[in-house]
Amino acid sequence: MTQPLLQAKSIAKTFSQGRLDVPVLFDIDLALQPGEFVAIMGPSGCGKSTLMHILGLMLSPTAGQLWIDGRDVSNIKANGRARLRRKKIGFVFQRFNLLPTVTARQNICVAERIRGHEIDGQIDRILDDVEMTHKAHHKPGQLSIGEQQRIAVARAVVHRPAILMADEPTGNLDSHNAQHVLDLFRQINRDYGITVLMITHSPSAAQAADRILHMTDGRINPDIP
Amino acid sequence: MLILALANLTHRKVRSALSVLAVAIAIMLLLVLVGLSNGTLDEISQRMQSVQAEIVVRDQHFDLASMSGGKLWEKEIPRLQQLQIQGQPAVHTVIPVFLARMKLAGLSQNVFGIHPNHFATFAGQRRLLQGHLFADLDSPRHAAQQLTSQIDDQSSTNAPPPLDLPLIIDQRLANAAQLHVGDRIAYGNSDAHIVGVIETGVAGRVFAPINRLRASSGIIAPTAHMFFVKAQPTLSNDQLGQLCETIEAATHRSATLVANYHQELADKFRGLTTFMTLVSVIALAICFLFILVTMYTMVLERQKEIAILQSLGAGPANILAQTLQEATLICTFGAALGVLLSFLVRHIIQTFQPLMTVELRLSWTLGAVLIALVGGAVSALYPAYLALRHDPVETLNFE
Repeated sequence: MTQPLLQAKSIAKTFSQGRLDVPVLFDIDLALQPGEFVAIMGPSGCGKSTLMHILGLMLSPTAGQLWIDGRDVSNIKANGRARLRRKKIGFVFQRFNLLPTVTARQNICVAERIRGHEIDGQIDRILDDVEMTHKAHHKPGQLSIGEQQRIAVARAVVHRPAILMADEPTGNLDSHNAQHVLDLFRQINRDYGITVLMITHSPSAAQAADRILHMTDGRINPDIP
Repeated sequence: MLILALANLTHRKVRSALSVLAVAIAIMLLLVLVGLSNGTLDEISQRMQSVQAEIVVRDQHFDLASMSGGKLWEKEIPRLQQLQIQGQPAVHTVIPVFLARMKLAGLSQNVFGIHPNHFATFAGQRRLLQGHLFADLDSPRHAAQQLTSQIDDQSSTNAPPPLDLPLIIDQRLANAAQLHVGDRIAYGNSDAHIVGVIETGVAGRVFAPINRLRASSGIIAPTAHMFFVKAQPTLSNDQLGQLCETIEAATHRSATLVANYHQELADKFRGLTTFMTLVSVIALAICFLFILVTMYTMVLERQKEIAILQSLGAGPANILAQTLQEATLICTFGAALGVLLSFLVRHIIQTFQPLMTVELRLSWTLGAVLIALVGGAVSALYPAYLALRHDPVETLNFE
């Protein structure tokens, strides 16, 4: 059996709000194999975004262990987490989160600079892959929401990360653009071999994945196939 | 990441421009104030050091700032000329200077009253560009008598005022005051006229014959404000120092090396230069506070962008570098503009006050730029620290 690309064991998360502790995740076990396309479905507030942020090293769990590529990353510090995010993870958000002051191409360039990569032909290739070459020099405000999401996807995968994490990537899109983005995810998963973890509450979006996990009340529900 | 820093600055053009302007004004103020105080001191001391003499003797009560005060007597000169160092004559010539003041080109000028035969000691290699050397009368009493008789003649006959005080002025003053040989100007109750224009750089901007100047100032005694002592050429630097001590011991006057004149001036005006430096430092502090507030506002406004960068893998060092880069860019543009403004202000000062010297040295300019860059970076540290404290998840979820 191959080693999971990402493995979580007994992950729990509790947020403190003053004196009040708010538990959000309970005893999450999860394993993603290399090249998988997994969707996590669940209603709003069930903790799926928090889970993604923990798996994406944006947030530390209150308890539990996390391995990426076999390495225990549960307790690494901010610098180490940032380094792993740079190398292994790409994020796509519901609201695209493009940098508004620079062009579409420069959004990708900035990401590459942060990763310490040279600006080369890779950026033009990824723009071509997401069919955005003609709008490369437009600022996000000059792009449609579908185009913005395609640029966000390009920015997330230009460095060929091991895992693409998408938080409600179609939540703000009409059905046409949503389908386009899902097709893009499948293409990225198939052609680049990138593992995709997608958070969604849309059953139709989840159908794009190879495997669907259901979350309710901070737990992964094994009873729903 | 420079792309992002530039884009962020151009995104808020007015705010960025104001920040750049704040830095520019502070740098300009620093350079112009330092340039003005040092330039003036340098210019005066260089002119004094142009005198072909090694020692200047003044009364203990002589005030360097106003160039007035306790007087010397010409009868002291023979005693000075007899001074010896290690059994050898030490003094070659003693040159008395009587000082008076007159207003020319909008500024009060020191008039150096000298004997015409000492003019070469002051001129050195500098040439008379126009006119000729003045003549003097043999004593201040004689000069005073002549002046009195001329005034009497004038009152009885209504004749034009006598041209009794010939002046030689330097070229810079001539240009500033638009004076030429033959021009007449008022000097107290009498008249003066320009007889010559000499190249710039001589000790006094205005020279007059000593006896006539004394008489025009109402002094009939042969007094002076300073003696320039030309030592024997065989004297070493150490022996010149000894000669100063010997003069002080023999005359109870103050004797200093002309070579030390700059230091003496700097010491005298230390309070003023400290004040000007303090003004510059306060201006810089205000400017850096402005940068701090600007960067603080930018960080608050751009929490989401910072969170995006963190999601892309930007670590604390990247966020810190990004904030510092923006502050440094503001300061770089501000410093460059400040240097340009300094040259502009110097040009304006020298156009409207041609006798004021604003010295802009390359080393000071580079120093000011360095201060701007370091100060800007330090000012951005706290906003950068705040940027690092933001929780990216909270920021990204907040929307």
